[in-house]
Amino acid sequence: MIDHILTFLIAIPLLGAAAIAAWPTGRHEHFRLIALIALLLEAIVAACVYFSFDYLDAGHQLSEVKDWITLPIGSLGVVSIDYALAVDGISFPLVLLAVVVLFAGVISSWNINHKARGYFALYLLLSGSVIGCFLAQDFFLFYLFFEFMLLPMYFLIGLWGGPRREYAAIKFFIYTFLGSLLILIVMIGLYLSAIDPVETARAVGIIGIEDAIHPDMIPQIQQWLFDGKIAPEQLIHTFRFSYLADPGNYIPGSILATTSEIFIGGIPVRLLAFWFLFIGFAVKLPVVPVHTWLPDAHVEAPTPISVVLAGILLKIGGYGFIRIVDGFFPFEAQYSAVPLAVLGMISIVYGGFNALGQSDLKKMIAYSSVSHMGFVLLGIAAFTAEGFNGAIYQMVSHGILSAMLFLLTGVIYDRTHDRRIDHYRGLIGVMPHFTVITGIAFFASLGLPGFSGFVGELFTLMGAFQSDALPVWIPALSTLGIVLAAGYFLWTYQRMFFGSFWYKNGNTHVLTDLTRRETVLLIPLVILTILIGILPGLLFDMSGPTVSAWLETLK
Amino acid sequence: MPDSAFHLPAYLLLGLPFSCFLLLWLGGKSLNKFAGWLGAIFTAVGLVVSLLYAEPDLLHTIRFTWLTIGETQIELSFRFDTLTCVMLAVVHFVALLVQVYSTAYMHHDRGVGRYFAFIQLFLFSMIGIVLSGSLLVMYIFWELVGLSSYLLIGFWYTKKRPVWAAQKAFVLNRIGDAAFLTGILMLFYYIGSTDFEVLSLKLDTISPGMLTVIGLCLFGGCVGKSAQFPLSGWLPDAMEGPTPVSALIHAATMVAAGIFLMARISFLLTIDAKLIVAVIGTITMLIGAIKAMQVWDIKRVLAYSTMSQLGLMVVAIGLGSWQTALFHLVTHAFFKAGLFLSAGSVIHAVTPGNELHGYDPQDMRTMGGLRKALPITFICFLVCAAALAGLPFFSGFLSKDAIITEGFLWAASYGAIGYIFPALILFSAGLTAYYMTRQIWLVFFGENRFPAAVHPHESPVAMWLPMALLAVLSLFFWFSWNPLNAMGWFLHLVGQGEHGHLGWVPFVASAVTFVSIFLAYRQTQAADPFGANAAMAQSESKTERLIWLRDYSDEHYFIIPFAYITRYLKLFEKHVVDALVNAVARGSLVFGHLIAWFDRMFVDGLVNLTVFSVRYAGQAARGLQSGRIQSYYIVMAMGVFLLILWLVAV
Repeated sequence: MIDHILTFLIAIPLLGAAAIAAWPTGRHEHFRLIALIALLLEAIVAACVYFSFDYLDAGHQLSEVKDWITLPIGSLGVVSIDYALAVDGISFPLVLLAVVVLFAGVISSWNINHKARGYFALYLLLSGSVIGCFLAQDFFLFYLFFEFMLLPMYFLIGLWGGPRREYAAIKFFIYTFLGSLLILIVMIGLYLSAIDPVETARAVGIIGIEDAIHPDMIPQIQQWLFDGKIAPEQLIHTFRFSYLADPGNYIPGSILATTSEIFIGGIPVRLLAFWFLFIGFAVKLPVVPVHTWLPDAHVEAPTPISVVLAGILLKIGGYGFIRIVDGFFPFEAQYSAVPLAVLGMISIVYGGFNALGQSDLKKMIAYSSVSHMGFVLLGIAAFTAEGFNGAIYQMVSHGILSAMLFLLTGVIYDRTHDRRIDHYRGLIGVMPHFTVITGIAFFASLGLPGFSGFVGELFTLMGAFQSDALPVWIPALSTLGIVLAAGYFLWTYQRMFFGSFWYKNGNTHVLTDLTRRETVLLIPLVILTILIGILPGLLFDMSGPTVSAWLETLK
Repeated sequence: MPDSAFHLPAYLLLGLPFSCFLLLWLGGKSLNKFAGWLGAIFTAVGLVVSLLYAEPDLLHTIRFTWLTIGETQIELSFRFDTLTCVMLAVVHFVALLVQVYSTAYMHHDRGVGRYFAFIQLFLFSMIGIVLSGSLLVMYIFWELVGLSSYLLIGFWYTKKRPVWAAQKAFVLNRIGDAAFLTGILMLFYYIGSTDFEVLSLKLDTISPGMLTVIGLCLFGGCVGKSAQFPLSGWLPDAMEGPTPVSALIHAATMVAAGIFLMARISFLLTIDAKLIVAVIGTITMLIGAIKAMQVWDIKRVLAYSTMSQLGLMVVAIGLGSWQTALFHLVTHAFFKAGLFLSAGSVIHAVTPGNELHGYDPQDMRTMGGLRKALPITFICFLVCAAALAGLPFFSGFLSKDAIITEGFLWAASYGAIGYIFPALILFSAGLTAYYMTRQIWLVFFGENRFPAAVHPHESPVAMWLPMALLAVLSLFFWFSWNPLNAMGWFLHLVGQGEHGHLGWVPFVASAVTFVSIFLAYRQTQAADPFGANAAMAQSESKTERLIWLRDYSDEHYFIIPFAYITRYLKLFEKHVVDALVNAVARGSLVFGHLIAWFDRMFVDGLVNLTVFSVRYAGQAARGLQSGRIQSYYIVMAMGVFLLILWLVAV
């Protein structure tokens, strides 16, 4: 089993979805139970991976590689798409985060009984594709999962959402779909430009079809490629991340070759490809100004979907930046460090100011997400070990915290179907436990030391300061984000929770304190944010070696 | 003692208050009865530990590796030296007295367990600041101290003003902290560490200009926490919290953390940075003193006075003498805590059993003549006020003198323009004497002005004993045997060099003080002393609005620009960013209709289309022959799509 453990991680939710679709009875209790069991199994398998994960190993672990599609395309060589999965220090923290958030999401979906079969099946489909995104080591496979996520997400928002759900769902879909198109264009270009040295060696015939390759032979193949000694029919093209990240595997003279001198509109084609990829993932992160789908999607999405959206889907944007954008275009990324960091800074400040101006609780949190994800971009733009590790940490931290914040919003929305901040006052009087946990979530999000938010902001900012490419004023202005965070969180806290109790629509008896299910849901998240806030080494030791080794190869 | 021996006190000093906090917080209301004494006992143990391990003159550091990131190793270090010893003793001692006092003062409050829990949380974070061996550790506890201050200011959360004041305090502090954090991160960049020892060794690798910037960024933390201009607006409003909290946090300890920070980093301040620090301190000192002469709330007078005294300490830092700043910090901690506790005793005494409409028990205009009803409180207040005003034979006289002397010595080396600093310090010392005389007269002398329903009574022993102890500590001999010479054991302890003593300073300073008191005394003989009756007649809010010194840092100054930017950015988001997206969407829809029309009108009619499709289909089929898996994939995708359609339709 251990050889295919990563496949299990993807298969379990998908099988669960199939089971729900095929389940004979139509009772929603059964569907939610199947979903819960599937994600419980998922959590157990993830725990097994966690215990077999080697902290010191900077490379791929638990890899699974199978040839999937091999297709000769004449003079352009051979298409080779692999089913390649692996975890490393960059993806594994996010896999763990995804499992935690998905699990929290399914528990908070407990009361959904409208079209429950479809809901839970789609939820598990979404889970499988999200996990697949983080595990895939082949660009094609990654793209498949990446696109596949849109489908369940679109329906989950569009069918189970709030009053303007159709608008929000279509906006979400179109935004991300256009982003994906840009990624697709670059993906094809990359594919045409790079080869798989191992398979090429086999095609050339210097090793047998079944033989393993000696590591020393790869530079030799690359040298032949460089000298143009390999016939085009023998070139095996590839989508594998690890090959695409190695400049030696690019065919000289191809469109995205590292030495490419092709210009489109006066811009080097590689730089253009870099920006295409960047925009594709920037929509997901989201980066101002391509962020406006997020507040709408959040406001209309049901609580668990908001949790998953903010908790994980946004992180795929950040993961894509690190693994794909910076991984394949390191020089372009360093060349564009300043504009990227400025975009991060704008996201931080712009998101913060907009959060300050919101009167809808969910919208406020959505804009705070924009602001917090700006730190991720800032850390990545820095191109330093601190920046990358900090960005990964910030993603995990924000995943936990935004999940908490949206769950807390869900608590109040479940009771009154009213999310207006100014419709409430003095909730502490009737919901004391809710108030305390909201307070913890707010203070953790505004970056109070002892909670995870502080560490994430500290190290992304530190990375930005350490970077030689970035002028000091960018991170210095970004610190305005932590001032704004204190402003919008505490102002909301003051308005909703303190003072003497008052609720606009009078119907006050519905405002009861947390139920046992809600408490069980929230307390572990509180513990997690404190745990990694006090012992950030739990994550940094995981991501550190991979990031260092990876930076070494990029520079 | 070896360094390793200091692990135990570090664990104890931080662990005791934190475990007490957890105990009281999780214990909830069931522990209300003993909460105060429990807290006091924990703090007393902490005081004993800090005295047992006091080894001034020797430096002990303990370090932990927190995490490794890239090649950077982030260490957390804690440090025991002279400064630590002094601060530990002061913090524990004042906290102990305040908790004993609170057992009586907060007796009737329902949330008394929560109150003492938060006090312990504060203590934990404050001790963390004092022990910190690097700026990063200090920042961590710095923020936590902000949290406990927030929780304690907003302790009475059902009232509107305390909650508002708590939020204001936190946000204004955050502005300073953002600068502080920037400074820390810049040090990480230039030196790779913020450990005080490493900093002192590697400082010369930074250019002086950059060092000035870093120093000023770090000073930002002090500006927020120690309520310096222009972030000082939160301190007077913080008086909405319980009075013992004001004594502990907003007079004696937390607000002094900024001074402590500056003392710790004084070695990295450049001349330019120091000059700016001194100017900011002077502005704060004068604003505080002038405001203290104008307000009527007994606690606000003390709050503005605290602001003014903190400004004085910052000036001392700016003049390059952190030792005298620390000296004033310590003497100020005792007498100002004493003043607040005495003020609390007065408020306690004049608060009627039932709420009286329109009557504010903190308003000095409705006090007067209380010395007869509250003799002990009166004496304590008088002694502490004398120390604050800087009368000879009291502690404040010594420390203020030390700073004035430093000022004159500094000016002598700086040049004629430098004399403006000691001159302004003397001037504000005069203002201090004036407003304290005014306060004492308004509260304790004259005729009774409180309503008949109020029956002032002396406070219980748990309250007056801490006051009395603090009053005794405000006498001169604890700090120097010679009442006219500040160079006592304390300044020697903290390492003040014997570089100069100006014999005439004590006399000039006393003369200024006595003249001010005389001027204030003349006011008391006037027909309407200090304008108390006239001001009472007109509505207070109206007059307060007109005073720019209050408004400069009220929400008008900071919140309004933020609100404007927020409003316009929100509009920008809605009418530009989002509208653009919608316009593009609508545009493509229109374009789609156009294309569809074109398709119907022209393309559809053309037979060519059929030909084209056939050829295309042929090509597609040829492609499929060599890759069966592709078609599997298409079939699979179609299948999934149909499945979803079915799921959704169910």
